[in-house]
Amino acid sequence: MADDAVVMERETAEDAGVSRVYEAGYHIMPTVKEEDIEKTVARIRGIVEKAGGSFIAEGAPVLMRLSFPIYPSTGGKKNAQDRAYFGWLKFESPVSASEELAESLKKDPEILRSIVFRTVREETRAKMKAPQLREVKRTDTLKSMPRKSEESAPVSEEQIDKAIETLTLD
Amino acid sequence: MNNILTQNDIRHVDYKDVDLLKQFVNAHGRMVSRRRASLTSKQQRAVEAAVKRARFMALLPYIAK
Repeated sequence: MADDAVVMERETAEDAGVSRVYEAGYHIMPTVKEEDIEKTVARIRGIVEKAGGSFIAEGAPVLMRLSFPIYPSTGGKKNAQDRAYFGWLKFESPVSASEELAESLKKDPEILRSIVFRTVREETRAKMKAPQLREVKRTDTLKSMPRKSEESAPVSEEQIDKAIETLTLD
Repeated sequence: MNNILTQNDIRHVDYKDVDLLKQFVNAHGRMVSRRRASLTSKQQRAVEAAVKRARFMALLPYIAK
């Protein structure tokens, strides 16, 4: 039974028209106005839809700081971009559609960088938050304790002299 | 195996989970060894692919410091 399934999978994988699940991630140039981002996303979606793909999940573009500046190759001038609108979409489409999308994303002047790769249908994002990863066992938190107020009674000169004497004698 | 992925029942490593991936790179941005991360070889390969995708998309640095 299991072997049959494997054989079936191999047979379908050989077929060029087979549908597969892909994910596309993209950085939209920060120079693009916020109102026009929707249009750029619609254009990307249009490429997938045109090629007969269906969407599974999507992440709306969010402006974020990049780990290092990216130099887009436009007109020979180097304009470092250290921010971009990062968005992604997961879709199911034929192999040819993913290749087409990858090509058009590369050529798009509004796209700073893009990636298209094969993935799985299931949700791949980890359902956990960073603080849970770094569980730091903290000792008791320090509380601000009021200082013991030293009772400073007026000291006479005689008392000081006596105290000095006792110190010097020792 | 006592590692972050197994403990949290994470079966797929996503390149967008930067906070998770940061657990597997050192201060210089280099990947930590499988032994140090206590990952299985399958998990290490998945993390490796995710880190490389995240680096390409400038979500993680190639080198730091």
